[in-house]
Amino acid sequence: MNEERRQILEMLSAGKITTDEAERLLAALGSEQGAGSAAATAKPAAKAPPKYLRVMVEDHSEETGKGKTQVNIRVPMQLLRAGVRLASLIPQPALNHATEALHEQGVQLDLSQLKPENLEELVDQLSDLTVDVDEENTKVRVFCE
Amino acid sequence: MIPLMLVVSFRTYKGRGLRLWIPLFLVWLLLLPLVLVLLPLAFLALAFLRVNPLRAVQTGWQLLTGLKGTHIEIQDGNALLLVRIF
Repeated sequence: MNEERRQILEMLSAGKITTDEAERLLAALGSEQGAGSAAATAKPAAKAPPKYLRVMVEDHSEETGKGKTQVNIRVPMQLLRAGVRLASLIPQPALNHATEALHEQGVQLDLSQLKPENLEELVDQLSDLTVDVDEENTKVRVFCE
Repeated sequence: MIPLMLVVSFRTYKGRGLRLWIPLFLVWLLLLPLVLVLLPLAFLALAFLRVNPLRAVQTGWQLLTGLKGTHIEIQDGNALLLVRIF
């Protein structure tokens, strides 16, 4: 049993991850090890695009006195892409008004320069996004799967 | 594909809760005649606002189909809120 598998099983036994998450991690680990043992000349398999954006928050703070607080959100990437496409529906005069309002507030941002394809590329690059915050009583994880 | 089922579950701090299974496929069937009637008006309004109505419908459809697979779970002590769309 290698070190990564041991760590996953330890996290599962400690209740830090659920059974589903442990299963996914072990599967991902298995596929990584399979790819690593392949011949060096073999072409690497194309990385599958992520399907979901996950946000997981665990707060064991005792300030509220209510016990553990957990947030587990899974949003399909397709929903995010459709959401950014809404930006392409905003008429140009409305964008100009919004830009002027931002400039009045000191925000030098030109909303008309935001192209839908740029926003879609931003969503596509989210596949490499991983945020891990691990404090004494609080854990925050944001990642794509 | 459009989502077919919505599950909403909540539980209060006192332990009282409710779980609702909402068959969205029935909701879509019920809303379809209304949408068909309102669609021409919506097209006119979008055209007045200088928004491409076909792109708006396409984006709306993508938003609708993108909802499938959404999972929201918030637990605060004994209270729980769960929303699943599949």
